[in-house]
Amino acid sequence: MVKEVERAGIPVVHMCTVVPISLTVGANRIVPTIAIPHPLGDPKLEPHEEKALRRKLVERALEALETEVEGQTVFEMK
Amino acid sequence: MRLELGHVLIKDVQFGSETKIENGVLYVNKEELIKLISEDEHLASVDVEIAKPGESVRITPVKDVVEPRVKVEGPGGVFPGILSKVDVVGSGKTNVLKGCAVMTTGKIVGFQEGIVDMTGPGAEYTPFSKTNNVVLICQPVEGLKQHDHERAVRFAGFKAAAYLAEAAKSLTPDTVEVYETLPFLEGIKKYPDLPKIGYVQMLQTQGLLHDTYVYGVDAKQIVPTIIYPTEVMDGAIVSGNCVSACDKNTTYHQLNNPVIHDLYKEHGKTLNFVGVIITNENVYLADKERSSNWSAKLAEYLGLDGVIISQEGFGNPDTDLIMNCKKIEAKGIKTVIITDEYAGRDGASQSLADADKAADAVVTGGNANEIIKLPAMDKVIGTLDYIDTIAGGFDGSLAEDGSITVEIQAITGATNEMGFNKMSAKGF
Repeated sequence: MVKEVERAGIPVVHMCTVVPISLTVGANRIVPTIAIPHPLGDPKLEPHEEKALRRKLVERALEALETEVEGQTVFEMK
Repeated sequence: MRLELGHVLIKDVQFGSETKIENGVLYVNKEELIKLISEDEHLASVDVEIAKPGESVRITPVKDVVEPRVKVEGPGGVFPGILSKVDVVGSGKTNVLKGCAVMTTGKIVGFQEGIVDMTGPGAEYTPFSKTNNVVLICQPVEGLKQHDHERAVRFAGFKAAAYLAEAAKSLTPDTVEVYETLPFLEGIKKYPDLPKIGYVQMLQTQGLLHDTYVYGVDAKQIVPTIIYPTEVMDGAIVSGNCVSACDKNTTYHQLNNPVIHDLYKEHGKTLNFVGVIITNENVYLADKERSSNWSAKLAEYLGLDGVIISQEGFGNPDTDLIMNCKKIEAKGIKTVIITDEYAGRDGASQSLADADKAADAVVTGGNANEIIKLPAMDKVIGTLDYIDTIAGGFDGSLAEDGSITVEIQAITGATNEMGFNKMSAKGF
């Protein structure tokens, strides 16, 4: 999906937990996420903490989308 | 560590007034067994049935399969940290009821459970069509949480296996096999000219009913460690898995790990089997990195020349597999990986979710997406209610005439990644 959408000329950020697989399949912008059963959340956190975590992840992804890349790039959380 | 495995050959299983073994026949006191398993307050009802090779019987949904074993001499008891105290097992003498198995079924625990046919085309894909099976049908009390349900059925299997094996405690086994692994330095000294080979066993530990236990410890909480191969023959590693039936290692597989048995066969002849490193398959990337770092570190520390790596399950564990392979190869140690494939029904898709050039020696257990048609059987133990929803099944899998069309993924043990099956492929 990542590759097909990019082939159509639209840049894609792949948010995923298992970065090595994302690298293998050829995603160009990768944002590492939390865990396989809950990539964009963390059930151990309080609801307000989890909301903050989600916002950070999405903001990081939007930032990645705006960034020019030369090749496959992993955008670690700051 | 030296273990004598005494095989008490079981040719038939029948119900009887007393649980005993006579002339290769295991007699089971059904009421006594039901009473024992029913002691668990999480189970509303328990029934026991027998399924023999060649009978027109389908068992589903199969959760776990356990081989009955009993400690005859030496420290500890079978399933340490679970049924027995946490003594170190794997030495002395253990008797095995060879040719029979305990199987657990009933209301499904997780959606990924299996089918075992005792005859027909499906029987060819599962090793448990060749064993005389004592099948426990366990129904949970209403409202029981899934993980409590899983534990109750897991323990039911172990308790029943231990109960049956007790009948073999004082018997003279029909055949005896001896397995020995010396303490590390002695073992290295004994065969200085043979290549030093280790086994990295990956345990399914994704959580959410995908768990494996080592001496009673949930293996997602371990860092990789070293274990004597004979420890697993006494039940040091057990399955708590509800992962896809075709490539989960049931407790029976753990007890009879063919990689360990085959390495012992060559030990002292073509290779020096140094030991087993166990590691896990967790769902956090940091855990995957840490565990594969450690398996590579331990392989280096042991001075191994070569390593066999076996996987359990599929999907994201493919990454653990490739990380183990890559990092061990980077230490200058040769690897062979054992896996299976999800290459689509036509076999044309990429087989694994991850790949690397270092993985240049691969053994496959087969393509789990292959479709098979299973004719109706005269009798069903368990229920056909879940056929359309188990992993490998789909809408319309179960036909009105009782026949089933599924991917072989749904058959217990079909593409086992320890090589405990007959399928493979060759490429050059």
